Amino acid sequence: MSSEENRSNPPMQGESKSSYIQFRREQDFVDCVLKGNWSIENNSGFQVRKEWEDLFKNNPTVQVFKFQLDSQIKWDSTLVSFLHKCRNDLVELNKSIDFQALPSGLIQLLELSKPTLLEKKQNEFSLSLELIDNTINYFRDATLSIFSFFGEWISSVVLLISGRSKTRFRDFAVSCRACGASALPIVTLISFLTGLTMAFVGSVQLEKFNAKIYVADLVCLAMVREMGALMVAIIMAGRTGASFAAEIGSMKLNEEIDSLRTFGISPMEFLIVPRTLSLLLMIPLLTIYADVVGILGGLVVGTVVMDFSVIHYFEQTQVALQSMWEVYSGLLKSVVFGLIIGLVGCYKGMHSGNDSSSLGRAVTASVVVAVTIIVVVDALFEVTFSYLDLR
Amino acid sequence: MKEDSLKMTSILEVENLKLAYGEYQVLEKVSFSAKRGKCTVLMGGSGCGKSTLLKSMVGLLEPQEGRVLVDTIDLWAVDQAEKTSILKKYGVLFQGGALWGSMNLVENVSLPLETYTELSEAEINDLARYKLNLVGLSGYGDFYPAQLSGGMKKRAGLARAMALDPDILFLDEPSAGLDPINSHRLDNLINELKVSLGITFIVVTHELPSIFDIADDSIFLDGETKTLLAQGRPSDLRENSEHDRVRSFLRRGTPISKN
Repeated sequence: MSSEENRSNPPMQGESKSSYIQFRREQDFVDCVLKGNWSIENNSGFQVRKEWEDLFKNNPTVQVFKFQLDSQIKWDSTLVSFLHKCRNDLVELNKSIDFQALPSGLIQLLELSKPTLLEKKQNEFSLSLELIDNTINYFRDATLSIFSFFGEWISSVVLLISGRSKTRFRDFAVSCRACGASALPIVTLISFLTGLTMAFVGSVQLEKFNAKIYVADLVCLAMVREMGALMVAIIMAGRTGASFAAEIGSMKLNEEIDSLRTFGISPMEFLIVPRTLSLLLMIPLLTIYADVVGILGGLVVGTVVMDFSVIHYFEQTQVALQSMWEVYSGLLKSVVFGLIIGLVGCYKGMHSGNDSSSLGRAVTASVVVAVTIIVVVDALFEVTFSYLDLR
Repeated sequence: MKEDSLKMTSILEVENLKLAYGEYQVLEKVSFSAKRGKCTVLMGGSGCGKSTLLKSMVGLLEPQEGRVLVDTIDLWAVDQAEKTSILKKYGVLFQGGALWGSMNLVENVSLPLETYTELSEAEINDLARYKLNLVGLSGYGDFYPAQLSGGMKKRAGLARAMALDPDILFLDEPSAGLDPINSHRLDNLINELKVSLGITFIVVTHELPSIFDIADDSIFLDGETKTLLAQGRPSDLRENSEHDRVRSFLRRGTPISKN
């Protein structure tokens, strides 16, 4: 009988600090003696695994692997998990493993952890037709769900107008306060500073042409046409859109949406319609307010820095605002922005997953998507207006 | 003839139901009926699809195949208006209570009443407080769900589920997470409501003491075969079921051969 000895680590004097295996190759089996200190606190496990894999590769003909413990061994879960791995490796190749010589406690642990289902090995980089198929399906489903959401919203609004809706006025009023009155301080600050900044930037340029008084025109037109609606929309996307998504998403997480449905109350009518409609009403009001505050910001620069009188500045503003269309066009945009913010926020909330991390993603997405759409739609509006000679 | 008499007594029938989340199939070929005024328990190990089956019965998850008949009307084949009128006969208690966090308890119980009845505000308020008293929450009407313990939320959820005097009450793990005394109290409440108001109960649970306390009938769902394995009184199933898994489940896993 030929026998061959192999030792994974050099033997140590006294008690060994690391784990190692001693292999003895017999004619038709390999005898593995586990020795040393198998503990999660030492890091020799990697070495042992490598030894095992080498042995495994170098002896493809051996069918049986016997395991036993050295009498001095100390072990914890690392040993069990190592044996578990050995067993999985061998089972995969239809080889047999012999645990008979192990202590009964260890055999018990291995028996408990025996896999009931074969764990599937996945091909990590399989860029296949399946992936393309999944992507197409994803986009198709997303498009469908966006359109059905919008369709359901429209039909709920029609129901509300025809007086057959379960939408409560109280929810609408509460939401109006939350997205209207409560937003006044931040809208005041931002639009005042916007008007102020524009006046400063404009005054430096206009001074070169000796046309400083046109700062009033610049600030007024920029605010009512563009900046009022856009700044309010961006504030509301971050403030109200995100809060819609978070509120509805967490209601979904707590099964509150489900419990509404089981009472036959449509979440669309009960939650989404009052919120979106209140935003739709509040956003043009906030925009008018922002326009006025922005013009006041310009006025402060005009009077304090450039020494115009208040009357003079206002007269020039009045001249600049030749028609009310300038104001209306800004309001028209703001209504569209409000619709976008409300629907995106509610949609993202309703479609957030059932865990807290997806709720976070939904809130982020509600702001990012809403702001992106707003900027794109704003550009489309301006291009359309200028081609239609409305500017 | 026999079938007719069966239909007379059964209020809810499930026929050949197949349920799945997308590609992942949960249950198939599930058929059973729940008798009027009785308590039917859906039991089975964790992850066997009990809550999923409940979702399809209360109109939240559309089955891929099969029918859910409520008083012989198919819940999944009718239009929204008729579905709503079926849902009005329902009361559902979710696992975590699922109370609406922005409303206090009285408002929670009142909402279904405000939505579906023409009662005055004072009447609704009285009714809501009465239902809360019924589940042992007198004096908590003005509390918000976040201020309550898990067991109280569950009881408040039960009060809300009973708001419209439903014909059928669906309870999803009502006693999970309750201490033994409260759990026992809840079981007693279920038994009393069943007798005094004639409510039909469909209860998802895997708490053995509860099952033997409240169940008139039960079905056992099996996660491995993904279908319904047995139907009957739990005490009968414990002694006489032909399936080892059912007997062992009802004996907490103690392996006892069929006698």
